[in-house]
Amino acid sequence: MRDVYVLGVGQSMFGKQPNFMAPELGAIAAAAAIKDAGIDPRIIQVAYGSRVVDASQTAEDIMKRVGVANIEMINAENACASGGTALHLLWKDITAGFYDIGIVVGADALTTSSIAKGLIPTAKGDLNGAMGITMPSLAGLNARRLMDTRGLTLADLAYASVKNHRNACLNPYSHYKKALTTEEILNDKMISDPITRLMCCPQSDGAAAAILCTREIAARYTTKPVKIETSIVLSAPYEIWDEEVTDATLIGMLSDRTYEKAGIGPGDVDLVELHDAFSPEEIYAYECMRLCKKGETMSFIRSGAAEIGGSCPVNPSGGLQSLGHPLGASGVRVICEITLQLRGQAEKRQVKDAKVGLAQMVGGSLTNLSSPAVGSMHILTI
Amino acid sequence: MGNNVFFREDLIKEKPDGIVLVGNRCRKCGKVFFPKADFCNDCLNNEMEEAELSRRGILYSYTITRVPVGKFPIPHAIGMISIPEDKVRIVAPLVPEEEYQIGSEMELIMAPLWTEELETVMGYKYKTVKKGRG
Repeated sequence: MRDVYVLGVGQSMFGKQPNFMAPELGAIAAAAAIKDAGIDPRIIQVAYGSRVVDASQTAEDIMKRVGVANIEMINAENACASGGTALHLLWKDITAGFYDIGIVVGADALTTSSIAKGLIPTAKGDLNGAMGITMPSLAGLNARRLMDTRGLTLADLAYASVKNHRNACLNPYSHYKKALTTEEILNDKMISDPITRLMCCPQSDGAAAAILCTREIAARYTTKPVKIETSIVLSAPYEIWDEEVTDATLIGMLSDRTYEKAGIGPGDVDLVELHDAFSPEEIYAYECMRLCKKGETMSFIRSGAAEIGGSCPVNPSGGLQSLGHPLGASGVRVICEITLQLRGQAEKRQVKDAKVGLAQMVGGSLTNLSSPAVGSMHILTI
Repeated sequence: MGNNVFFREDLIKEKPDGIVLVGNRCRKCGKVFFPKADFCNDCLNNEMEEAELSRRGILYSYTITRVPVGKFPIPHAIGMISIPEDKVRIVAPLVPEEEYQIGSEMELIMAPLWTEELETVMGYKYKTVKKGRG
């Protein structure tokens, strides 16, 4: 097993960009990552693409636009965790010695896609999907449980949206740069009780890319390489009929495996980027990811621990709430944000003295499986 | 008047006193599945027998979707229903009601899901029979 480093990261803008197709956005991100790494693109040995909607030959279509062709290229789909999955595959290639340097690029253009303006469905032909279950309605079901079992208020459920929109004002890549009040969020159009529109991430177009390499190559280009301590992808177990849905079994398992493999505990983590497609998903993740103890969600929220200046900043980028969720891009974008933070290049949203960052992306839902259905998790250090 | 058609006939059985949901049960360990499973995911046994689910359940959680989803008229209420007798939890539409309460006792009924040009698509929904935790 060889150590793997992040040599370069790049992102497109995130937002409504109907004039760009996904591969064009991907090329913007890939070119930015190549420039950030300071490499000749022709030294890239392998490329992984991730795209969820209307996908075809994603990596090939992106890389040909930045001077790279005729190498091994593979495209990954794993719902919201697609980008993290593609990154994991590249990490495996390098750690195992198949390749020394490669690129991962995730892109989706949702506003002009076949699912534009609709609610994100689960999977075609799935029974729960046929009964009217969509991603926002799942979030609604979970939110009702959170209120019932943990005594959280609607204001607590809106907290991630409030915080992340505030953080996004400091992020030049974000879709929305407008701080919102709890009242504005709770009084907005109801999508699926108690989920309002402003608790949902917007449909966005965007792309993110990262170049990974061995220690030897990293040493040639930078004195501040960011190391990937561990990279884990895991799919959900079968659902147990009386499990508590807000325990999100998969997220707990994924977190425990990640901390154990990395030899780094939740208390060592300086910042977290995680899946917040719906505001309550970030709220229940605090306990699932062991960022706070069981039963302490309310005090974790109200203490300000998850703020940029807090003890465990969560989504300093603004998260999916403000950047939107181009499904294939998000799992790579969180790696870009953590890398910038660890290098001290996150400008106004910089988390002070960040040395250890955790990037999570989870998603998908299927009848008979615990929900979410799949997730990726990475711990990065400098 | 249009015709009534069933949404996925394999899921429902009509009985003299109403409908029941039909899943299946592992002959080896007794685990119940809805919808029917080809094999038991606990013990990987593939000898399954048909199982009629209890009509009574407990409302585990609910949400009311207010934007269009599939062909359902909106608002569209959806619940997660725990059926302790069979040890399964299912997702199903709810009959429109003033308010729902987690922990309420629910009953399965046949109800229209949506209408198409000449047909009403019938399926199953749950309605509250006793509010709040029992």
